[in-house]
Amino acid sequence: MTGLFEAAGEEQAAHRRLMRFGANQQPATPMWSERGTTVQAVAENLARLWDSEAHDTAAAAGTTSVAEKGLAHARASVLNLIVLVVDDAAADRVVSTLVDLGVRHPSRAIVLVPDQGSEAESIDARISTHCHAASGGGDRVCCEEVVVAVRGEAAGHLSGIVSPLLIHDLPTHVWWPGDPPFRDPIFDQVVELGDRVLVDSADFGDLAAGLRRIAGLRRQSGVGDLSWERISWWQELTAQFFDARRFRRYLPNLSRLLIRYAAAPDTDVAAPMSQALLYAGWIATRLGWRRHRTVEPLADGGFRLTLEGKHEMVDLVIRPEPTDIHRPGDLVSVRLRSLGETGAGEFIIDRRGEDAAVATNADGMTALLRLVPMDAPSEAELLSSQLALDVVDPVYEDALRAASILLASAREPAA
Amino acid sequence: MAATISPPSESFAQTAPNPLRDGLRLERMAEPCTMVICGATGDLTERKLGPALYNTLLGGFLPPEFTVVGFSRRDLTDEEFRNHLLEGINRHSRNRPAKPAIWDSFAQGIEYHRGTFDDPAAYVELARRLDRIDRDRGTAGNRLFYLAVPPNLYPGIVNQLDRAGLAASGEQRGSGAKRGWTRVIVEKPFGYDLASARALNHEIAAVFDEDQVYRIDHYLGKETVQNLAVFRFGNGLFEPIWNRRYIDSVQITVAETVGVEGRGEFYDQTGALRDIVQNHGLQLLAMFAIEPPVEFGAEDLRDEKLKVLRAVKPMRPEEVASNTVRGQYVNGWVEGQRVGAYRDEPEVAPDSETETFVALKLGIDSWRWAGVPFYIRTGKALPSRVTEIAVQFRRAPLALFSRAGVSQVDPNVLAIRVQPDEGILIRFGAKVPGQGLQIRTVNMDFRYGSSFAVDSPDAYETLLLDAMVGDASLFTRSDEVERAWAILDPMLAAWAAGEGGPLHFYGAGSWGPPAADELLERDGRAWRRP
Repeated sequence: MTGLFEAAGEEQAAHRRLMRFGANQQPATPMWSERGTTVQAVAENLARLWDSEAHDTAAAAGTTSVAEKGLAHARASVLNLIVLVVDDAAADRVVSTLVDLGVRHPSRAIVLVPDQGSEAESIDARISTHCHAASGGGDRVCCEEVVVAVRGEAAGHLSGIVSPLLIHDLPTHVWWPGDPPFRDPIFDQVVELGDRVLVDSADFGDLAAGLRRIAGLRRQSGVGDLSWERISWWQELTAQFFDARRFRRYLPNLSRLLIRYAAAPDTDVAAPMSQALLYAGWIATRLGWRRHRTVEPLADGGFRLTLEGKHEMVDLVIRPEPTDIHRPGDLVSVRLRSLGETGAGEFIIDRRGEDAAVATNADGMTALLRLVPMDAPSEAELLSSQLALDVVDPVYEDALRAASILLASAREPAA
Repeated sequence: MAATISPPSESFAQTAPNPLRDGLRLERMAEPCTMVICGATGDLTERKLGPALYNTLLGGFLPPEFTVVGFSRRDLTDEEFRNHLLEGINRHSRNRPAKPAIWDSFAQGIEYHRGTFDDPAAYVELARRLDRIDRDRGTAGNRLFYLAVPPNLYPGIVNQLDRAGLAASGEQRGSGAKRGWTRVIVEKPFGYDLASARALNHEIAAVFDEDQVYRIDHYLGKETVQNLAVFRFGNGLFEPIWNRRYIDSVQITVAETVGVEGRGEFYDQTGALRDIVQNHGLQLLAMFAIEPPVEFGAEDLRDEKLKVLRAVKPMRPEEVASNTVRGQYVNGWVEGQRVGAYRDEPEVAPDSETETFVALKLGIDSWRWAGVPFYIRTGKALPSRVTEIAVQFRRAPLALFSRAGVSQVDPNVLAIRVQPDEGILIRFGAKVPGQGLQIRTVNMDFRYGSSFAVDSPDAYETLLLDAMVGDASLFTRSDEVERAWAILDPMLAAWAAGEGGPLHFYGAGSWGPPAADELLERDGRAWRRP
């Protein structure tokens, strides 16, 4: 994992996460591809894919079979996914990821590679399909990917290209890996096509601007963020501390929150801070903390703020921790300290490889310590969990706005 | 941009809900509690309970305080009991083997309590131990007793728990002192007939309130059974045709390929009617046929199920012979394996009259279902392992295509498959493409697995968590149990008196005796081949 980051230059930083998609996988074998094609031809070929006739052709060509026992394969689909990527290589990587994804979300994915700058006007397309045997055997889950490279002026009018290719009456998600071009009109145009938008705030080139822009998006089914998904287990473990009634009274008296996140050692590329910010924003909004003053402004990926809590002033500290064990940006440790009525309490989650040590020191009791699993989910898993949601997540939206405010505060001089 | 970060909630006193829980993915977190497994060294603990707890832990549903106390007669140390659980997990869990670091951490909260179930001192000691756990581990007096023992031990254990002061629950009895809840989970078989079920209910009710008692029927923990409710009440399409006007008949099949598998002694006293129909069979029937509940909560749902069971009219003695078929397998072949006759099984009487197969015709005398026959069949050593409910709809009113040489189109069938390959199949007629008019039956086959390829939790995981959360929707209430026995009692009585028709024999690996087919043929119907 480290090698990748050492090699990552500034221009690649925005797409570094994308580079890891399907690093060890072959791109799918296309069942159909055509250069200089038309949208109508793509749509016709998509419709024909699942005929038994196509099965024979596919079998003859030695490609993936989509039919069983000579019967047209009965197929369930649950969503459309529109993906925007910058080049063909990125498209291949996305398709590889989608192969894993299909296991949980039989879907039609349309991967768009727009190139408005191109002199030539053309549409190239290829279609691939995958079926997975579901666990337990028997069932097969199928999905299909359409990669459409659009060159020239048409690349500025993507909705007319995408709409005919969608499966009707299914929810449509737009996934924009990497650093979306927030200022480009094409961004709004593509976002309009989906009920829900998925991004990864860890990849935003300008995090502050990106957070503000995402917070302002209004989609029917909301916005998803893979960085938010990454901290979901941390949130769960944190909430568990206070599920126990006897520890809940420590919550209003929290006086310190220290968050450490992984940063690759020996590199100039800053580790993405979005997970740490979203986590802090989540706690702050759930507990009703307010911005008070900046103690240490943002420098080298760390900062310190004073917030106004319910009963106490809260010391919020975010620090990068050089490590090559964890992915840059991932949380490494969280410590919550409280001045409870009966004494101090401390609630700690420390990541240790694939596990996490979770400890409570409160009530003057012996520390409650336990180990829980803490696997780093793959991008396909993160995406998969996010695709399972189709409602606005108000907790995320609150946290997102707070993260944006915290970051803005961190950029102010100390007061 | 505003300078404040909007506060979501005003106060969070100790009694207020956890503000950090708001909007999180896992909404069904168990409360801190101690689970006491009575009969902790048995088969159920090893095969089901241990793995279910471990998977629930991995899913993040168990709080850090969660503690297990194994209670049994065998002389084990804590460490030996932990290893016993671990071996079961490594052999039977869907996530296996257990991760050593995670297990070691979880195992710190596992203890073993040695004692015999009829020894009062063992319970006094248990009470002391549980108090200590409450203090040390913060389990807040919440206790879940799992009776993983033969049913004849239930009354004794329940009484001992009461005498040791372990049965009262802060939830129901408000004993003044602030204390947690106490719940008890019991396994089937729940009684042997109506009288014994009533006696058992009575003995348990003397100690526990009904809402403390969780009777497990693991079929109800299966996803498809829960989906049955979603399928009917979450879709506008099916409910309008879910009645006698459109439905011709319903078949419920619970088929097993296995024989009695070393449980000869138990099975020979039980038989298919008690073992399967009393619980799984009638529960499937009730879930299929219920009226929409007022709310999807435990009491409403169980009230509706009870209404269905009350509308199933018990047979008169003279009706038993014509509406039931009982069978027993003789030697044959199942899945390529030779299977010996039931009477040759160990611990089975060589002249046993116990049924290993039963087919029934029942009716539900309700406004919705009057006149619709419900056929139930279950058996051992059948050709395939399958549980399904198949609905046959009435034929189209006119043979509209007869002029084109198509005399009658096959009726539509909707099959709800519970296991394996959970899903829903709809069969309908379609025109064969071409110039002529030829109609063929096609299947539209929806499988949960192909739409949501997610590892479904095992039924025990769902049910254990339900009990810890206090959701009794998927557990059977005492009145349901008694009503189910009331339906079966006349059959058991007639058979015992030799008036319920003969015991038929069927070869292992067949779909039961020919008499079962005749039961439907008399009505102009046939069993589905599932």
